[in-house]
Order: sequence, then structure tokens, then C-alpha cells
Amino acid sequence: MILELFQWLQSLDFMTFIRESGLEYPIVMSTHLACIAVFGGMIVITDLRLLGVVLTERSIADVVNGLRWWKRIGFVIMFSMGFTLFGSKAAEYYPNPYFWVKMSCLTLVLIHALIFRPLVYNHPEELDASPVIPTRAKVAAALSLFLWTAVLCNGRLIGYYEPPQQKGHVVTQAAGPQ
Amino acid sequence: MFLLLLQNAIADALNSSEWVFPIAECFHIAAFAWSIGLIAIVDLRLFGVGIGHSTPPQILKATAPWTLIGLAVVLLSGPILFLSDPRMYLHNPSFVFKMYALALAIIFNYTIHRKVASSDSSSQGVRVLVGAVSLALWVSVVFGGLFIAFA
Repeated sequence: MILELFQWLQSLDFMTFIRESGLEYPIVMSTHLACIAVFGGMIVITDLRLLGVVLTERSIADVVNGLRWWKRIGFVIMFSMGFTLFGSKAAEYYPNPYFWVKMSCLTLVLIHALIFRPLVYNHPEELDASPVIPTRAKVAAALSLFLWTAVLCNGRLIGYYEPPQQKGHVVTQAAGPQ
Repeated sequence: MFLLLLQNAIADALNSSEWVFPIAECFHIAAFAWSIGLIAIVDLRLFGVGIGHSTPPQILKATAPWTLIGLAVVLLSGPILFLSDPRMYLHNPSFVFKMYALALAIIFNYTIHRKVASSDSSSQGVRVLVGAVSLALWVSVVFGGLFIAFA
């Protein structure tokens, strides 16, 4: 059922074009990676501010509110590029355990947002008003850091998975995500 | 000759486990996301957006030590990746491009970028230009790095 859906997605004209393209595929992937660099870094910095580690001389409200829209824009670009990468090779991703771990972590990121936006991220002024950073903000930040790190590592490991019939071949260098 | 042997010994050690390379890569990616993200926050402030109620010098001062730590991890994990197969990398045009872009990005970051971002009196036009060049340089480094696998 899911495999059929993935095969259908991969067979779409656009996805076929990306899969069979020369430069477009790595360009999409580089854009995905550049978004991780520019905007992923902002997620980390927001969380470390909530933990009271970096930018402590700036208020939490300034950091959270100032970066909110940039992270959203970055997420939209990163997600579209990521979806294109997945869609163009969806059937190959289907048996890949790292892909499913990454998707599970992203689902947890979504649940994290549903829980902690109303509790933490949408009311940074309340956090500034508190004499110490409230525990709920620190929990939110620590979980966010953990989940995004897991997303990143499993995302990279997708490229290293080899389907069972190819076992015995040793990976010794940067493998393109075949 | 000796160097060649040493190089092979290092490469063999790095290739002895199939996990060394991917783990070093994850550190590399996480650390460049960290440091480039911090530099991008300074760049946003140079554009006049991003973290509010602050000047570019304040943001630069707050982020610079952390950026340096991130860059250190990037520059430690990078050579591990490189040493796993130096000859492949040296003959890879994307890798060569990446090294030039990286050298330019680092030099730019610690000269012009730092000078403009740490000055309260730099003009808005100069700030925007420097922020844009900074972002463009770092994004080219990322592109160059990814294209190594496709060259």
C-alpha cells in the first residue's frame, strides 16, 4: 500500500525528471543542505538561548521572535527540497531504515511543536519575566536539540544504506545517495 | 614515499570501520550548521533584520566565540573525511572549488566581515553588501562540499 504510493510518487513526471537529471538533483540536495546550515543553525541557537547558554545578554523574546520567520522560511525551502529528493527516489527509500527513523523523528518534531508552541515558543516574554528560565523551556529546548540532531544524522545515513542483495560491498568513501 | 605510506596508513585506519566516515560526516554537518547559522544571524543583523533591539557589533560579540568553536569542529572533522581517500579528493574539482571557497569565506569572515560587523558607524549599504557576500560564500562552500559526491 505505502510502497505502491511511493512508486506512484516516483513515477510522476517531475519526480522522474529530477531522478534522471544531471545537475538538478545535486542542486536540490545542496539547497537542502545549505538550508540546514543557514536555518538549522538558527534552531540550535534558539534552543541554546532557552537553555541559557548563548546570547544571554539578549532577551529570549528578541531571539525567539527575531528568528521565528527566518526559521519558518528556511523550513519551507528545506522541506520542499527534501520532499523532492525523497519523491524522486521514493521506492528506493521505502526499505531504508534510516529514512523511517528520520520520518519518525520529524513526526516527533511536529508533536513537540504542538505541545511546546503554546507552552514556550509563543510566549517568550513570560520566560524573560521569570527570574530563572522555566524548566518547561529548558525541556523544550533539550528535546528540540535531540530530535533535530537525530533528524540530521539519520538523514545523512540514508545515503549509506545498501539493500540486502548488495551486501558485501564495503563503503569506503563519500557515497552519493544512490 | 614516506608521506605516501603514512597517508595510506591513515586512510586504512579510517577505513577500518565503516562507521568512522559517516560519524565524522554527521559531526561535520552539525558543526557547519551551527557555525554558518551563527554567521547568518550576524548577516541578518547586517541586513537590519533578525534578532531585534541589537546592533551588529552586539550580535557579533555574542556569537563570535561560539562560531569559532563550531568552525574548529568543522576543521577537525573535515580532514578526517579528506584523509580517508586524499587522492580522490585532490583530483575532485568540487573539492578543489570547496577549498578555495572555504579559504575565501574564512578570510572574508575574519577581515572585512568582522570589521564591518563590529563597527557601529558602517553605512547600511556596506552592511547589506558584506552580509550578502558572507552568505553567498558560505553557501558556495556547502554546495562545493555536496558536489564532491557528484563530480
